[in-house]
Amino acid sequence: MTNHETPAVELRAAARTFGSGERSVTALDRVDARFEPGTFTAVMGPSGSGKSTLLHCAAGLDRVTSGEVIIDGVPLGGLSERALTRLRRSRVGFVFQSFNLVPALTAAQNVALPLRLAGRRPQRGEVATMLAEVGLDGREGHRPPELSGGQQQRVAIARALVSRPAVLFADEPTGALDAASGAGVLRLLRAAVDRHRQTIVMVTHDPVAAATADRVVFLADGRVVGELPGMVGAERIALHTARLEAVTR
Amino acid sequence: MSAAWAMVRHRFASFAGTFVAVFLGVAVVAGSATLYLSSRPQAPARYDQAPVLVTPPDPGTGDDRDRRAWTAEEAAGLAARLGAVPGVAAAVPDPWFYVQRVEAGRPAGDPQAALVDGHAWSSAVLGGYRLTSGRAPAAPGEVALGGTAAGPATPGAAAPGKTSPDKTTQSMTTTDDQTAGGTTPGKTAPGKTTPSRTTPSRTTADDRVSSGATSGKAAPGGATAGGTATAGKTGAGTTIEVLTSAGPETWTVTGTVDGPGFYLADEEARKRASGVHVIGMTVTGDVPRVAGDARTVIGAEGVVRSGAERDALEPVSVTRIRWLGAQLLIALVMLGTFATVFVVASTCALSAAQRRRELGLLRAVGATPGQVRRLMYAETTLIAVFAGLIGAPAGAAAAPLLAEPMVRFGLEPAGFTVTRQPVALAGAVLLGLVVALFGVTAAARRASRIPPLDALREAAVDPRPMTPVRWVAGVLGAAAGGALLAGMSSFPLESQVTVGLGAAMLLLTAAALLSPVLIGPLVRAVAGPWRGTATGMLVREGTLTGVRRVASTAAPVLATVGLTMLLAGMVATIEVAAGFDETAKYPEANVLVPDGTPGLSTAAVTAQGAEPALTTRLLLTHGDVTTGGSATGGGDGLVLDRLTAAQLQAEAGDTVTVRFVDGAVTALPVSRIGDEVGLPRELVRQHDPDALTSIVVLEDPAVPVIGARALPVHDFVMEEVEEEGRLVDLFLLALIGLTAGYTAIAVGNTLLMATAARRTEFRALRLAGAGTGQVLRVVSAEALLAVATGAVLGGLVAVVSLAGVRAAVENEIGRDIALVVPWGTAAVVTGVCVVLAVLSTAVPVLRRAG
Ligand SMILES: Nc1ncnc2c1ncn2[C@@H]1O[C@H](COP(=O)(O)OP(=O)(O)OP(=O)(O)O)[C@@H](O)[C@H]1O
Ligand SMILES: [Mg+2]
Repeated sequence: MTNHETPAVELRAAARTFGSGERSVTALDRVDARFEPGTFTAVMGPSGSGKSTLLHCAAGLDRVTSGEVIIDGVPLGGLSERALTRLRRSRVGFVFQSFNLVPALTAAQNVALPLRLAGRRPQRGEVATMLAEVGLDGREGHRPPELSGGQQQRVAIARALVSRPAVLFADEPTGALDAASGAGVLRLLRAAVDRHRQTIVMVTHDPVAAATADRVVFLADGRVVGELPGMVGAERIALHTARLEAVTR
Repeated sequence: MSAAWAMVRHRFASFAGTFVAVFLGVAVVAGSATLYLSSRPQAPARYDQAPVLVTPPDPGTGDDRDRRAWTAEEAAGLAARLGAVPGVAAAVPDPWFYVQRVEAGRPAGDPQAALVDGHAWSSAVLGGYRLTSGRAPAAPGEVALGGTAAGPATPGAAAPGKTSPDKTTQSMTTTDDQTAGGTTPGKTAPGKTTPSRTTPSRTTADDRVSSGATSGKAAPGGATAGGTATAGKTGAGTTIEVLTSAGPETWTVTGTVDGPGFYLADEEARKRASGVHVIGMTVTGDVPRVAGDARTVIGAEGVVRSGAERDALEPVSVTRIRWLGAQLLIALVMLGTFATVFVVASTCALSAAQRRRELGLLRAVGATPGQVRRLMYAETTLIAVFAGLIGAPAGAAAAPLLAEPMVRFGLEPAGFTVTRQPVALAGAVLLGLVVALFGVTAAARRASRIPPLDALREAAVDPRPMTPVRWVAGVLGAAAGGALLAGMSSFPLESQVTVGLGAAMLLLTAAALLSPVLIGPLVRAVAGPWRGTATGMLVREGTLTGVRRVASTAAPVLATVGLTMLLAGMVATIEVAAGFDETAKYPEANVLVPDGTPGLSTAAVTAQGAEPALTTRLLLTHGDVTTGGSATGGGDGLVLDRLTAAQLQAEAGDTVTVRFVDGAVTALPVSRIGDEVGLPRELVRQHDPDALTSIVVLEDPAVPVIGARALPVHDFVMEEVEEEGRLVDLFLLALIGLTAGYTAIAVGNTLLMATAARRTEFRALRLAGAGTGQVLRVVSAEALLAVATGAVLGGLVAVVSLAGVRAAVENEIGRDIALVVPWGTAAVVTGVCVVLAVLSTAVPVLRRAG
């Protein structure tokens, strides 16, 4: 497969160690990875394998100890905290497992937040369209405590997508949701990829969720240890995961 | 800004600490500043009809007490020239002298005001005062009696219902109910415009007796009584008893006047007065033009004052009272500002720590560190402006309530009224804003450094309770405070209390900054015995991981306990020292001191077989140097003290030009250099006929006289000290009330905030099987720990500061004194903090549980 397009995100020998000396933990061990534009990648692996760390480093929320992270052609290495924040604001969207929304702000205000932080006034209907797209029309004025977990997660996705980022990262976005809400969120993500050629990197423990992705990347002990296309189905993915967990244990 | 508004609206509870701190701070500052600005100098009411006043030129010695006078002849000459200026109706010299009414054998009215109650009849026109009955005085021993009591037309004016509370005090000095409230001339002169301060009391023109033991200090008790609290139906033809500088006299009333004062025939007044200090002009023409022409006419021989310049003629005794009040108000503003910064800083730090996750989320979503910082500033601005806009009017509304007590305690002159001071309000709001922003700086800087990943961390654990900045600021503060304490004795005595307070503020800030260092060991030591129990473990771990939170809640306790102990201890120490100090100076003897009078009359002194020790002020010129000073009558020639001699570069035998208070100038040879400036007694009497004696040491049993009493030196000194102590106590009460009240509110506030924000933690505890009782025990134990930390540190600061104060005082008086630590006060204050702390932690917990 030859692709001359710039990858949305690229990691080159990215390593991240926590602590120093004897108690140091290598969460990422010289990982190379490319996430092409318009693709949906799932990241799987046993607990503690470094999935979240990978996502944080790739999103510019955390800095690698060595190696390089390039978002939309921009290497993060030399950027100041301010420049990095700006880049994140315009090129990266992020959805956490929980606690995604600022409790003080309404759904609409939360969605508009990245635009406002960028010093841009949201265009008329821009926020409403975004909320409608995630199926939350009419909920603009509600505050997070007044929304269900699934609804909150959809607001978070709307917020992550509103600035049309080069890449959307999601760390176990369905982890705190029931099956139905989780499926809804996954459909949303899939639609964003299909309709808007959105690049998505999603960490998940759920083989069913991973099966909605184009590609599944397996991580163990901070290293990429395998890869499957998403269309192989949930069962084969689950099998692969189980084998991995058995090996690492 | 809209995000800030949303945050503020949503989490108002967590901003409540800042709000309350700024609200109280602004209210205190607005109130104090309103009082301060309302207290303006004002020309005495007896010049109400004289828009242009002329005073002798400034002697240029740089000392307020040095005032040149014109001799009666000079004044008459000048008045004649000024009277010829077009547009001038009359130019009248106002010679004044001491007269005090004697009622039922006792001097009546305010002694300080009495110093200027005697006037020449011709000067009544300056106040627009007219005869209400009888005729003007013409011969010696005749008086036109001012004050409303005199006139038969007046009694009806003072209806009992109109008598305001402070007027009741006045009525106690009168013998006739009908005359109550009569000393305010405006009341009884319908149609005459009454300026805000017409009460004639406290119109002392010079402070001459202050150099002696009977200091010219405000006589607070008598502040409301008018100088001419005249009594009885004293119409024309009756006689009255009075006291003058010569002694008791009996005068015949020839008429009654509708303004305050005793009016004598001009020639008689001229003889009694020590020179002339004011020539007043009634004017028919345009005031500025007349003033300009008068300036041309008088040249360098006098200063022409019109408009606001007239207010410089405020009597010294009134200025002194206002100065005292200003000291208190300035201290209040200072402490208010300090408490605001202190409390705002600690609550902002607390609320920033509590919002770590939220701020991390903002960072993750794309807020730059600068934006987070600006958000914090914007929130604080909103809160501070809001709090200020409510606090300033609240303070201004409270100010008038304080006017009356301030007058009663001799901190403002009688008739003091609070006026609207928009500048004070605007200034207070602005100050509140600036102070709040200053308080939030550290927290905002810290918050802006929160990494975006903190949004993902469930529990906020203080990674580093002590930052380098905190260390540096804490150590610097402690060093600066220590240095101030060590160098305290080099400051003048009056400002030592302020210096001590400043040092304590620095030390308190330092202690608050460094408190996290102490919290760890303290927690380990205190919680040690209970390590095995669940509560012990939870408290220990809860506080050790939330050191900053505990520090924030301990800070207000620290300030409360520290400041209260310090203020109380400082005053106790100074009082102990002052008592010893003054007793040591006096021998085992009786003294004759003024009793309800500003000084001893000649008659009172000579009755004891003693010579009056007259005190006067002189202006001495030698070469081109002029200096002023107090001089005592009694020597054989002109004696100079070393300081004055050095200033004038004069030696024994040199001829020095002496200007007396009556304006007369003589050249006198210096007979010798001694310990104090002295002059032959006859010279003093001749040139300062109005001089009084401050104190006489008695060898024989005292002969009873009016306006004087005898008592042992020791008792007299005790009275003086108590008098001084009373003022200090008052200051103390006001300052402690303010700070303790303020910081105590902050104690409750921060704990309420801290506990309310830990809801999820308590929910988790309950899910883990803890009962409400157990949760309560945990939070109360934590609160008590915070109080203990604050109390220990506050006590430490107070003891250190007190030791510094003691050292300064010992240095001052050259003798060891005991260190007074007010343990009782400390216990009470700590107890109050404990109650507040437990209440404010229990309430949120119980509300959750219920
Ligand atoms: N801030 C940190 N400090 C120290 N060690 C950390 C930190 N964050 C992660 N680690 C360590 O790095 C390793 C990888 O952690 P990471 O959170 O990336 O795992 P994960 O694959 O996301 O696990 P999970 O599936 O449980 O979320 C773990 O061993 C973890 O203990
Ligand atoms: Mg993870």
